[in-house]
Amino acid sequence: MKRAVFLVSSAMTLVLGTGSFAQEVPPTYSLYGTPGLLEMPVATTAEEGTLAGTLSYRDGLFQAVLNYQLTNRLSGTMRYGIVDLYNDFETSVIENELERGFDLKYQLVEEGTYVPAIAIGLRDFLTPGRFQSEYVVATKSIGDNLTVTGGIGWGEMGTHGGFDNPISSRADRPVFDETDPDGQLGSDQWFAGDAAFFGGLDYQINDRWGVLAEYSSIAYDPAPNAPAISADSPYSFGVTYRPRDAVQLSFAALNGQELAISGSFFLNANNRPSLSGFETAPVPINARSASARQTTTWDRSATPEAALRSALTATLAIEGLTLTGMEMTDRTARVRFINTRYRSNAQAMGRAARMMTQVMPGAIEIFILEVEARGIGLSSVRVARSDLEALENRPGAAATLFANAAFAAAGDDAALIPAQDDTAAFSWGISPYFALNAFGGDGSLSADAGLRLEASYQFSPQLILSAAVAQSAVRFDAEDPEPDSTPDLQNVRTDGRFYGDDGVPVLESLALTHYGRPGGDLYSRVSVGYLERMFGGISTELLWKPVESRFGLGAELNHVAQRDSDMGFGFGEYDYETTTGHLSAYYDLGNGYHTQIDLGRYLAGDWGATLRLDREYENGVRIGAYVSQTDTSYEDFGDGSYNKGIVIAIPQDFLTGQPNRDNYGTTLRTRVGDGGARLNVDGRLYDVVRDAHQADLSDTWGRFWR
Amino acid sequence: MARLGLLLAACALMSCGDARDEGLGGQVAGLLLGGGAEAPAPQSLNVTEDDLLSNPGTYMRVNVRDHNRWETMVRAGSNGTRTTWIDGQSITVTEENGIVVATRGLPRDMMGAEATATWNAIRAGGGMVQRQVDFLDDQDQILARVLQCRIVSEGSDPVTRLQRTYPASRFKEECSGEGLSLTNIYWLNPSGRMIRSLQAVSPDAGYLQIDVF
Repeated sequence: MKRAVFLVSSAMTLVLGTGSFAQEVPPTYSLYGTPGLLEMPVATTAEEGTLAGTLSYRDGLFQAVLNYQLTNRLSGTMRYGIVDLYNDFETSVIENELERGFDLKYQLVEEGTYVPAIAIGLRDFLTPGRFQSEYVVATKSIGDNLTVTGGIGWGEMGTHGGFDNPISSRADRPVFDETDPDGQLGSDQWFAGDAAFFGGLDYQINDRWGVLAEYSSIAYDPAPNAPAISADSPYSFGVTYRPRDAVQLSFAALNGQELAISGSFFLNANNRPSLSGFETAPVPINARSASARQTTTWDRSATPEAALRSALTATLAIEGLTLTGMEMTDRTARVRFINTRYRSNAQAMGRAARMMTQVMPGAIEIFILEVEARGIGLSSVRVARSDLEALENRPGAAATLFANAAFAAAGDDAALIPAQDDTAAFSWGISPYFALNAFGGDGSLSADAGLRLEASYQFSPQLILSAAVAQSAVRFDAEDPEPDSTPDLQNVRTDGRFYGDDGVPVLESLALTHYGRPGGDLYSRVSVGYLERMFGGISTELLWKPVESRFGLGAELNHVAQRDSDMGFGFGEYDYETTTGHLSAYYDLGNGYHTQIDLGRYLAGDWGATLRLDREYENGVRIGAYVSQTDTSYEDFGDGSYNKGIVIAIPQDFLTGQPNRDNYGTTLRTRVGDGGARLNVDGRLYDVVRDAHQADLSDTWGRFWR
Repeated sequence: MARLGLLLAACALMSCGDARDEGLGGQVAGLLLGGGAEAPAPQSLNVTEDDLLSNPGTYMRVNVRDHNRWETMVRAGSNGTRTTWIDGQSITVTEENGIVVATRGLPRDMMGAEATATWNAIRAGGGMVQRQVDFLDDQDQILARVLQCRIVSEGSDPVTRLQRTYPASRFKEECSGEGLSLTNIYWLNPSGRMIRSLQAVSPDAGYLQIDVF
């Protein structure tokens, strides 16, 4: 084969312009981890869906920041800071205090030919915010490489060169109060007190290098409990370098005297690094002959059902699908299978359907595909074999097939003939773990890492005994729980730091779980045993979730006792038993937004509610936030009443392109309090069930044909 | 190929309904399994030049230009006028009269396309046609692009491969649509069969050079 023949054609273009495949380079990120100059914000926004993680350091302040551009205009930020603070009397510096903060920014005006982008923002807006600032900022590009920013700031951003507040009704700003309740909206502070101007320039020399100049309005004035950071001059200069599009490194000379460095790392949920995936091609549809299509029955003696089950078991196994049961009539084949490989159940169904065209007699015209998880059939999707044959590789095939498919609850279990004689199964594995916990009111952050041995034995597909034993590599101080300073509120979470710190292997969980489907749209779970690190007992759950509905309702009732802190089998150390449970409503709002509301009684006996909102991308990336508020009072129990956090999940196949059902995920909490604490029980029903329901299937239906 | 081999072995052993009667079973099983039940090694097909030349209609050679990969492909199945070819590892290419209508296993597959209008224009010596091509985007959604294409005859351009020269006439198809422009080149032998082509798949998968033997 002579490649030279094609030299003439190698100059041909295959260009996609500003279509869905285009990737934008994110704007410059500041040391505070948001689009900005060095410490001051800009009005520019990142591309929608951008997640940016930033680590930055200047003397006295280390920050780890997660910034997320939720919509084209709205972004949110969560920040952990390790900061040096003046003490109550400004007489000395307390080093390395852990702080958390949240920012919000909204772009009011998009940049036009003559109009700058204008944004309004709140930095560290929850109490007690040591960096609490508000700002209005404008940014304008001049040519391709230069942007100019000017703004007005309040709070910390109004401390250098401040002047009387132009909003005369908010002339005075309440003094920072160290004892303010944690995590309340500090709205009496917002846009109050002196204001000050800030601004700067960002010049991109080329795609990789840029320079920054900033006039800052943050003075870092010494004050009781204020950050001990020196900032003699308002002028700062920096250099940015992007070794790759997804990485920004910054080096800065701040305030004329301090050096600072930062690194930002970007991921855009809309731009999958693995493109549309690297999985191997499916077996094509085996189209029937015209005569085979005409048949209305098949010869069961020549092609016995048992042989078809065996053949389909073998062929589905090639695709990582486990056939569990099958029911056949003259014209239909209903197959139930477990998807162990594909993130998208729609893709699993597409692969299963293609294999069925290889195996099933010509008379079989209807394929009924039922995905099973935890022993329960999750849904049934009915497709016509002639549709598969007619639509394969045709434009619009996915939309047409989806429109023609029928979605319903999974069919009768009893009518299925099992594909396997013996469903008992044992599995085990050892893996490393890493966990970051923000325990208790004192806000200490502790890391844990080690090895975890997990094993499970499946008595039947619905009944599973599972256990996990962990050995920490870093926690062996064997501290005993301290006397409870708030005896009226059980230490259901704040004592977590004393659990499993004896340096020996501990039993994380040992539980027997039964899953069931008591009715068409009803799903159930019962778990008994050592359910999690701190509690054991019984947990029951019932979920109502019709396949074609975006709405689900759940009820959970648990009776648990607090385990001993040595994480053995005992419950005597705390002698604490409680009944906890919630009513939950789940709703898929559409456009990638999902919400969940839980009402009920939490582990410490407090009553309240949790609201959760998630932005879920069809490719599986999920970024959510939740808040819990219960009747536990701040006055009595400190930072206990109010829990909040950020949940991030990124499917492994998003990054690797290899088909896989696992996620990389974490929950970032500001702190783990005793109020609003829920049982950490494994395998809650909604996430298991919705995965094969119509709305979720439609999200990834484009993969049916892949 | 181990996957497909296993599938076919399973079918061969277990009476797979119609599967044995259709194209896929017999043809590919014979090719891959040599009549036996053992699956071949999951690597590229070992096809010699002699095999290519002495079995017309059996093999396709594909150069995935962006990956600098050459693959020999065999028929994996047919559906109407369309034939799907599979390589030794992971990729399938589906064509209709030699025009690529789908791929699988590339980083950005062509999920589906129409080719009849282009083929008719080639047979007519040129013309303007409209085609729809579907891709799978980063959000698992189908991204449809409607392309306006101009097909022109570029006259005689013999094809040389494996030290042999074949008479052929060359056609160029220039297409553009929203954010997408591409050029395909087709070489047809005197009997009107496509023997070589250079065809665009998608922005991320680039072009395929296809030689049909």
